[in-house]
Amino acid sequence: MKKNWWQDKFNLFMVAVAFFTFLFMMTAVATLMIKGLPQIGKALAAPEIQFAIRLSLYTSLISTAFCIVIAIPVAYVLARMDIPMKSFFNTLLDLPLALPPVVSGLCLLIIFGTTAFGAWLEEIDLSFVFTVKGIIMAQIFVNLPFMIRVMKSTILSVNPRLEFIARTLGCTPAQAFWKITLPLSKNGIIAGTVITWARALGEFGAALMLAGATRFRTETLPISLFLNMSTGDLEGAMAAANLLIIISIISLYIFNKFGGDFIGGTRGV
Amino acid sequence: MIRFADVSIKLGDFSLKNVNLEIKEGEFFTILGPTGTGKTVILELIAGLYRPDAGKVFINGVDAENIPPERREIGFVYQDYALFPHLNVYKNIAFGPQLGKIPSPIIKERVKDLADMLGISHLLKRFPGTLSGGEQQRVSLARAFIMKPRILLLDEPFGALDPNTKRMLCRELKKMHLQYRYTVVHVTHDFNEAGMLADRIGIILEGRVRQVGVSREVFENPLDQKVASFLGAEPLKTVFAG
Repeated sequence: MKKNWWQDKFNLFMVAVAFFTFLFMMTAVATLMIKGLPQIGKALAAPEIQFAIRLSLYTSLISTAFCIVIAIPVAYVLARMDIPMKSFFNTLLDLPLALPPVVSGLCLLIIFGTTAFGAWLEEIDLSFVFTVKGIIMAQIFVNLPFMIRVMKSTILSVNPRLEFIARTLGCTPAQAFWKITLPLSKNGIIAGTVITWARALGEFGAALMLAGATRFRTETLPISLFLNMSTGDLEGAMAAANLLIIISIISLYIFNKFGGDFIGGTRGV
Repeated sequence: MIRFADVSIKLGDFSLKNVNLEIKEGEFFTILGPTGTGKTVILELIAGLYRPDAGKVFINGVDAENIPPERREIGFVYQDYALFPHLNVYKNIAFGPQLGKIPSPIIKERVKDLADMLGISHLLKRFPGTLSGGEQQRVSLARAFIMKPRILLLDEPFGALDPNTKRMLCRELKKMHLQYRYTVVHVTHDFNEAGMLADRIGIILEGRVRQVGVSREVFENPLDQKVASFLGAEPLKTVFAG
């Protein structure tokens, strides 16, 4: 069948835009990787990078665990229960996704640094300002809404009748959740966990505002990148950036493998 | 056995209004009505999924409001069968008894007996996604039967089956009912199915129960114009021919 000339031009235009977009993204990442990858070996031997990797892993694993534990019940409430002002809570919980991370960090700094609540927390040895705990808190604040969104979509995709049938077969509501909804949400939990962890690992703005950027104290990989750039150590910065890129690529692969594409359009949020 | 006393409930745009209904112990009661008139909601009220906004549901003479679904001794078969997709057929059927800490040899024996009776012994290791509609329906019935429920709730259980499988399963279901005499509340919009299975029929239209009676009596003497017009869609002779 012969196509109209305008249809050919239209397709050509679309393909050209797509091609240049891919080209631009690939060039940006590839340039950094080509220049940075040879530096990784040397960078890994540097004590500050080793510290940054350790601290990044430590904080991101803890914050991701918190995100999972909190997100599942919150998502369950939003997906399954009729609560007053549900759409308001939905919007509120999504807010940190739309906020610039530095604004999120400033919110946290104000709460923990200037209020009586923050002072009380310091008294009981829970200080979040300029501490490692602050990094964890910032990662949770920024990433929790994301995990909630993934989990909400996952729980919504599980037929609620299954839980109800489990009840008629003798399950309490908690048993029905543990034996039916949770196992059926496995892929969503894995996808959400991996991508939340990767985001936690790369969290910068909010952590910078709340925990600051101090070498060998609050120096995560992105903070290390920032500090190296500030001191003109481009090689160190590129090495840290490359580690983050590799982790991101692997995480995205796992996220998509476990159905991240289909979880409520959360990809790329 | 089951009594609805002035039950009303509103769910979104849909509402069930002042339902009064009595279902006797051991009878096969069919709720017949067009799609979207509240038939499934009646089953879900019996099962305890919803609480009525007004009125009461009594089960065995007891107000069921505070009895959770797990203590109502009911079996529920949905139109889409609602089999647990992550469990194989054996685990689907054994799900309820395994919660009750019944020794596994006894569970195995009960599953085997039921599977033999329903002709699904060869499917026990398969997962629901690999079964046909008729096979899923049998598994769903086995899962409900194994709990020896006092009340069996069937929500359009044959809706997605071909006519031959449907006829065969209807006969098996009727045979099992006559053998065990549990109370069955069955929902359908199919006159033939209702005529073939029901001891008594309740006609539900626009969220209200319009007429209750023995099958033939309901089909032959519609109470009012609305019931007559609903039943008039099907010639009477074909209903009792099955």
